[in-house]
Amino acid sequence: MMHSASRNPCCIIFLLFLFCACKQADTKREKYPTIIDKIQAKSAHYDGVSISSNPYISEETIAVIEKGHHFLIPARKNRVALRTCAICHSKPLPEMRGEGLKRAHWNIDLHHADSKTMRCTTCHDPGNPAQLRSLTGNPIDFNKSYRLCSQCHAEQFEDWAGGAHGKSAGGWAPPRVSMTCVNCHNPHAPRFGSRWPTWYNTRKAVERK
Amino acid sequence: MRDKKSNWFSLNLKSSTKRKASPCGCGRTAGSCKGSESPEHKDGFKQVFDVKMGRRKAFKKLTASLLSGAGLVDTSCSLTTGQSAKEKAQIGWEELFKGNYKLMTDAEKRATVQRLTRAYELRTGKTIHMSSKNAEKNVLFGYAFNISKCRGYMNCVAACVKENNQDRKSHMQYIRIHEMEDGKGFKFNEADDNYYHEVPAAGHFYMGTQCFHCDNPPCTKVCPVQATWQEEDGLVVIDYDWCIGCRYCMAACPYDGRRFNWNKPEVPEEEVNKNQHYLGNRLRKKGVMEKCTFCIQRSRAGRNPACVDACPTGARVFGNLLDPDSSIRYVLENKKVFRLKEDLGTEPKFWYYVD
Repeated sequence: MMHSASRNPCCIIFLLFLFCACKQADTKREKYPTIIDKIQAKSAHYDGVSISSNPYISEETIAVIEKGHHFLIPARKNRVALRTCAICHSKPLPEMRGEGLKRAHWNIDLHHADSKTMRCTTCHDPGNPAQLRSLTGNPIDFNKSYRLCSQCHAEQFEDWAGGAHGKSAGGWAPPRVSMTCVNCHNPHAPRFGSRWPTWYNTRKAVERK
Repeated sequence: MRDKKSNWFSLNLKSSTKRKASPCGCGRTAGSCKGSESPEHKDGFKQVFDVKMGRRKAFKKLTASLLSGAGLVDTSCSLTTGQSAKEKAQIGWEELFKGNYKLMTDAEKRATVQRLTRAYELRTGKTIHMSSKNAEKNVLFGYAFNISKCRGYMNCVAACVKENNQDRKSHMQYIRIHEMEDGKGFKFNEADDNYYHEVPAAGHFYMGTQCFHCDNPPCTKVCPVQATWQEEDGLVVIDYDWCIGCRYCMAACPYDGRRFNWNKPEVPEEEVNKNQHYLGNRLRKKGVMEKCTFCIQRSRAGRNPACVDACPTGARVFGNLLDPDSSIRYVLENKKVFRLKEDLGTEPKFWYYVD
């Protein structure tokens, strides 16, 4: 009896200390139970950042608004060589297939859907090669070629406009610059090929043997 | 409070007022730091003995210097040693007794960065750019990884090794790409993270892991010397000069996100990335922890981490979680996302999603 009485104050002090320690640790960890709560609370009054990704934008860009998202895309027009068809196409095709003539776009092999769905003129305007055309025959500028792709790939387009599909061409800081479809996919053969990895950890391979 | 704290661990060898006023940390208030012929500049011997202190304190300091810096003191006192050797010794001395980066004032951070830059210049004759940029206001970094898009090319790993000056000898890599069998879910024990064949392999999918920069990180809590902590912008960082190499954090991390330097890291001089940050890709030493910092030297400047820029399939999305218009927020709000081992309550800021 005597024993426990003399020990009691010590216990109380110890408990008090423990409580204080816990309390301190609690206040140190911010008051948000989950990261989503933290994001919501801290971004409620978001008023921008002082840094910008402008110094990292190396090429000419154009501003677009798609699905309510404002962003920049690299310009395309100045990077494609366009000539009038009639300069070469003065004779019927079978005659032009012969030897001796300068060859153009002979290296383009179409691997995009199947030949029943897609051919050159599905996207290119045979009357005016300086522009593209939609499925309904409306002209599409080379700078906004993504509009052509979005006719079929609507889901990808939606994700791309939001930023879940595709690749950033600047930094994370505003303004946002997104590569367009043709910056990653070859429109004539859009599928990514298989290849060998860029990196191989030879040491790990030895260690694991 | 912070200011008081910041001086806890520093052995203030010169008079404290002078040191405070100095913008660079060489101890001089005027002129450039390069020349060291200044009347108030004390040499190594005087630094140790021309300080007013009690007997107990003097013995303490002497022991410390004998244990760790006898060679340095010797160089500093010698009349025959050249200027650069003396400066090297001086820098070595000050670096040895500097405080924890977390507790430093901005001026102290700049000073240590300046010393490290100068030391590198003296050692190799080349200049590096090292930053001590603090976290930006209104920023919380987050990352998303599209499992449907990753094809296992590993461009990210190669770019990361190059950007972050990782040890070439031990083939250190922060990022791991796991090749997993379709239909089996995430079986990390059965996955291969060091494949070398044409990718993507039939019947397999790929996913990457690295440091997830948890919002409730277990690694920082176990550090006995507080050499690792979470910054305001959510990055979990390490002060390589404060780390004692106990590897508690490595054991505490449930994601295998941390790496240890068992040997002296080796990076060929011509391959050293000279754009550095104190908490990021500056050259490490033997016996310290390191890990992915979301390329702090790039992200704090507004750029994407090297892995994001290197990914050829756009499987990696990086951004500011607090910006409602950012791509990362779009992913979180519109895609089906999940994180690894969510039930642990570590709150990683690294989400996986599928198309």
